[in-house]
Amino acid sequence: MAEIKTEYYRQEARKALKNKVLHAALAGLQERLGKGAAAAYRALPEGPGLRYEAHKMRMQAIDHLDILLETLADRICKNGGQVFFADTGEDAVEYCLKVARRHQVKRVVKGKSMVTEEIGLNESFEKAGIETVEADLGEYIIQLADEHPSHIIAPAIHKTRKEIGELFARKLGIPFTDDPPTLTQAARKALREKFLSADMGISGCNLACAETGHITTVSNEGNIRMASTLPRVHIAVMGMERVTARLMDHDILFRLLARGAAAQNMATYVSYIGGPRRPGQADGPDEFHLVILDNGRTRILADPEFREILGCIRCAACLNVCPVYAKIGGHAYGFAYSGPIGTVITPLLTGINRARDLCQGETLCGACREACPVDIDLPRMILALRAKLAEGDPAWGVTPAGRMEKGMMTTWSKIISSREYYDRSLKIARLGQKLLPIKNGMIRHLPPPFNGWTQSRDLKPLAAKSFNELWQKKYR
Amino acid sequence: MMTTDNENNFISRVKRALKVPAKDNRQYRHLFPNPPKEAVQSVLKRIENRSVEQRQELLHQLIEAGKPINLNVIAKKDVYAVAAAIAGLVQENEPEWGHAKQVAVWKHPLIDRLKLADALAPQDVAVHETDFADPETETDGRNRIRKQIIDAFIGVTSADYCVADSATLVMKTQPRLARTVSLVPTIHIAVIKIDQIIADLKELYTLLKHDPDYDRQGITNCLTFISGPSKTADIEAVMVHGAHGPRELHLFVIIGGESSGRAKK
Amino acid sequence: MTAPKPITLFIPCLVDTFFPEVGEAVVRIFQRMGISLSYPSDQTCCGQPAYNSGYRNEALIAATRFIDIFENAETIVCPSGSCVHMVRHHYLELFRNENSYLKRAEKIGAKTFELTEYLVDILQVTDLGAEFNGRITYHDSCHLRYGLEISEQPRRLIEKVHGCRLVEMDESGRCCGFGGSFAVKYPEISTAMLEDKIKSIITLGAGTVVGGDMGCLMNISGMLNRRRQPIEVLHIAQLLASRQPSAKAEGLGFKGPRGQVTEPDKPFLEPLPPGILESFGDVNNQTKVFAPTCRSFGAGR
Repeated sequence: MAEIKTEYYRQEARKALKNKVLHAALAGLQERLGKGAAAAYRALPEGPGLRYEAHKMRMQAIDHLDILLETLADRICKNGGQVFFADTGEDAVEYCLKVARRHQVKRVVKGKSMVTEEIGLNESFEKAGIETVEADLGEYIIQLADEHPSHIIAPAIHKTRKEIGELFARKLGIPFTDDPPTLTQAARKALREKFLSADMGISGCNLACAETGHITTVSNEGNIRMASTLPRVHIAVMGMERVTARLMDHDILFRLLARGAAAQNMATYVSYIGGPRRPGQADGPDEFHLVILDNGRTRILADPEFREILGCIRCAACLNVCPVYAKIGGHAYGFAYSGPIGTVITPLLTGINRARDLCQGETLCGACREACPVDIDLPRMILALRAKLAEGDPAWGVTPAGRMEKGMMTTWSKIISSREYYDRSLKIARLGQKLLPIKNGMIRHLPPPFNGWTQSRDLKPLAAKSFNELWQKKYR
Repeated sequence: MMTTDNENNFISRVKRALKVPAKDNRQYRHLFPNPPKEAVQSVLKRIENRSVEQRQELLHQLIEAGKPINLNVIAKKDVYAVAAAIAGLVQENEPEWGHAKQVAVWKHPLIDRLKLADALAPQDVAVHETDFADPETETDGRNRIRKQIIDAFIGVTSADYCVADSATLVMKTQPRLARTVSLVPTIHIAVIKIDQIIADLKELYTLLKHDPDYDRQGITNCLTFISGPSKTADIEAVMVHGAHGPRELHLFVIIGGESSGRAKK
Repeated sequence: MTAPKPITLFIPCLVDTFFPEVGEAVVRIFQRMGISLSYPSDQTCCGQPAYNSGYRNEALIAATRFIDIFENAETIVCPSGSCVHMVRHHYLELFRNENSYLKRAEKIGAKTFELTEYLVDILQVTDLGAEFNGRITYHDSCHLRYGLEISEQPRRLIEKVHGCRLVEMDESGRCCGFGGSFAVKYPEISTAMLEDKIKSIITLGAGTVVGGDMGCLMNISGMLNRRRQPIEVLHIAQLLASRQPSAKAEGLGFKGPRGQVTEPDKPFLEPLPPGILESFGDVNNQTKVFAPTCRSFGAGR
């Protein structure tokens, strides 16, 4: 498992809130991709309602994962591939290392993949003395800078061209430039050497197809095609939820995926990979391994409240519309998955208590759900996570999060359970607010725990008479 | 079905999570029925019976869809015109990686008819076919072909289909049709006939699934979709073509008489 | 044409305690239409604050109570998107394991309407005869826009307000950063989001921001006040109840230029579909002038 830093949400968020350059970059990204995706959905011949059909399709597949996975594995094995089922991230990494050692691999090129980020594959490979090169340009930049991706499909969105220019000058020994085409060319050259000399390629997987026995990989750059074609061995790591039933399902899913992720009609490259090179073929890897990863997913599957999250295809459309993500960037989320999808999947994979800020740091605005190509109800699951934190849940190992908040809520529930208590409390509060500093009829400072409000905002005091009182007097 | 403990344990855990009995004889085919035969037949018929005008309409759609993704679609009368145009591209462009000008081409019936070796002979440009030579082991052949593709600055392929809606070339993997020809060289040139253009992904998946070869080889061990040249926007969201794959993609569509043999007036 | 159903008012606790003038505006709107109103005076809160923080047991207390109180109502109307969203959608989740209440919740959800939705979709009225001078911009509250998919209705109503012009701010559907307890728990993030919202409002140069959820409006006006921005914030009910384009008449403290006073007693329910008009009685005789509540919260700056 990769390092989990969900506890540092507040600190990281505060850092990002000061970063105006980051805000500008994310605003640009959201303007282009977020709004573009919405327009692209509308332009579909079937209209944005196609997302509901995609949802049904995904959930039907999730409800039959056992059969679909068996079928997929069976077909891939029949076609000469090897399938390993990994219970944990450690198991998956260990298997990949075993294959690498068997082939005396010295250098691995990686296609862009979030699941290998989730299981911390790079760190383990480096520890084992195997050079592991990220090949997606954004991931490559992040790797050179020794950072983590801050966006699922635009990992280096938080870095400026100047920073990248300085980084490349330092690490690649090229003269400084901040010209994106020149920088891209420098990376193209450096990475071409890596591709041509790598012994093994590792990729993730976007969707799989049980009917034909293939995984699919998607990229715009071609990094995954390179990593899955040139080296002798290709390993694909797949979250177990990515499988779909029929080939025809991909019609809807790929059209929506490309639109949701990047407002495109289709990604530049999509590969269906079902096994190693066959005899007589001039290229392709000699060995193909598929690692199917659980790593906490069956636990999610077993919980009807959260099963829906397994329908996610990690397109990042929700990041591209989220107003909170736009302000705090991806690093605050403390794990591979950032933005709205991160707020649900990360607590479920890595522990709800330690990720409590992820569960609570949203406004529940619902923009993510409207942007989701498979119509996943993220706000509903954020609320379900909050419920776990509020009351605790032994099944998920959650302990109640805040005793003070619980106390306040218990009191609140007493107050609202009778109009008499409610009115009495209102009177007390009206008296109480007289103690607060009021200027021009507005409250300027509130005491803890409400002082967050008045950091940047005034508050109108409670009205002298409630609507209820006015109604009794004037309108009844 | 070959199963291992590794798989069995995993799948039983999934079954438990799904609350289905361990001994469960469900089959996914029953759960996810394929469309009725008549529906499939009507799609296949529609594709087969497209009129010349309808095919030209699809070509126009393809040209339009190619524009925003920098896929340069060029209609040509016949193979001779295509060969001449390719010779022009070979002449105009310089190798990116400093080798002598070389071209890698699929060993494919349509590409054969271009007679590129002849067309490029005046420029003294070597044309390498991705086919094993007669007295050559597969390993030797693979190593030779790999090196030739790496050294080539232009790769020429055909495709099985081209989807007009998204400007997507679709290629099955077959012997003699190396995957890297469309990936490693700086410029990728694809050549298809107009009747290989289909409308959308729905038609594509229907064709793939009902190909006479499906029972023998499925959709092959690697089916590739290519929609435009390689691109990235990873540095400040500035679009740059040629991240790892080809920087340019030229698609020649042969519209001449011989190409529309399947089309009906 | 059947007469409109009598309405039972569901007044959110925030309106009840902080902004009773918004509740009064709702009363005026329906009274003028001659629709009979009732207000169950033992109502308190729908349970949203607890539900959104995860305290479902506490929310259940509120929700059960809400159902008991409102169950016999024919039609329930509420001037808040998020409270209607709570009743219509979250109650189903809340009661999913309590079959008897679940059925009752479903029924109540189906007859609970947000104010603008009720006016436009059910009563099919857009021109309420309201008058208001100035440039108005509309903020789409999230639970209205995303939760209930209500965004056209308020705009159609605003466009029919005499004397005002609706101008669209940049990204009116973007969250203002309120989010209930979020604004207090994560004030820095909330502030950063709110700053964007305030910026789009100020850039636009509109004199008035209108919305349909007091939570968001309290948030927006809170920062406008803190930053001494002379932009007023109104609940859409207040705008729709407004019969005088000048705020000075009411003397609520708004001192800015407001345009001249116009004749208040002209027909205010045209154009209505024929039939509906009859059921409201002689609207032209209802000339009682109701005070507009401009510059609603924050008495001074």
